[in-house]
Amino acid sequence: MKTVIRSTTLADKLLFIALTTAAVAGIFYSREAMPKGSDVIIEVDGRTAYTLALDTDRVLSVPGPYGNTVVEIKGGRVRVKEAHCPNRLCEKQGWITRGAIVCLPNHIVISVGGKTENLPKGLDAVTG
Amino acid sequence: MQLQDKHRIAVLSAYALALHGFESLLPTPIPWLRLGLANIITLVALVLYGFRTAMTVTLIRVVLASIFLGTFLGPSFMLSFSGGVASTAAMGLAYAAFEGLFGPVGLSLIGALFHNIAQLTLAYFLFIQRIEAVIFIAPVIILIGTLTGVANGAVSGLLIKKILQKDGENIQNDKAD
Repeated sequence: MKTVIRSTTLADKLLFIALTTAAVAGIFYSREAMPKGSDVIIEVDGRTAYTLALDTDRVLSVPGPYGNTVVEIKGGRVRVKEAHCPNRLCEKQGWITRGAIVCLPNHIVISVGGKTENLPKGLDAVTG
Repeated sequence: MQLQDKHRIAVLSAYALALHGFESLLPTPIPWLRLGLANIITLVALVLYGFRTAMTVTLIRVVLASIFLGTFLGPSFMLSFSGGVASTAAMGLAYAAFEGLFGPVGLSLIGALFHNIAQLTLAYFLFIQRIEAVIFIAPVIILIGTLTGVANGAVSGLLIKKILQKDGENIQNDKAD
């Protein structure tokens, strides 16, 4: 181990630091620059009832067997603000920017979709 | 090319093939994670015997390994081929252009970087064609490549030192011709 460390040159070390820094910065940057899902799709009873833009703030009520479910879109996020179903799991899930909120008793599925769905599946064959 | 050169290339290619084959048997948590162990042999060949030997060994290794693994001319062969050629060429250039500036670890890092760049570029044009997917995955791949590159470079450095100690006077570097 010692001989390895001694035989690395200054350029080696600088290159390593530069590459690691660039890669780590790149990971954060690419996560940040990633376009988020752009649409909120609200399905009732398996049918798409509303398609709303995620970047437009609004509050709306979706009727269901347990009364109105209040969905709030704000600042690029979406949540169930108020529900009257027994467990209120949808309300507890809080804000989401991707994925879905499912309210089973009310037959409501709120999903954030868009052009970048299932993105990381892009690569499936890179080998050395 | 003398008989001795052929013998040397054959032995190096055999080592590289064995490492390449071994590596493809290892289960990896992420499908595109590869250790690049065969690059150790490429690097040793480059430093001890020169660029021509290194490139020959790489070409033999990539083609034969793909035939043995059943991926010849398939997508993973193309990625492996482009990565191997690009990394060997980049290491050879860096070694020749900046003599003494980079040690084995630095050369290995350069090789790993260009291996990844070539593969990502090819993968983009041939298979993915979605720039955001490439941008998303590139830093992760380059980070992993940097870490495995250091490990491979360190092993190469030790190997080069050992071979020089043992057999230093018999080594002919084809850099001269």
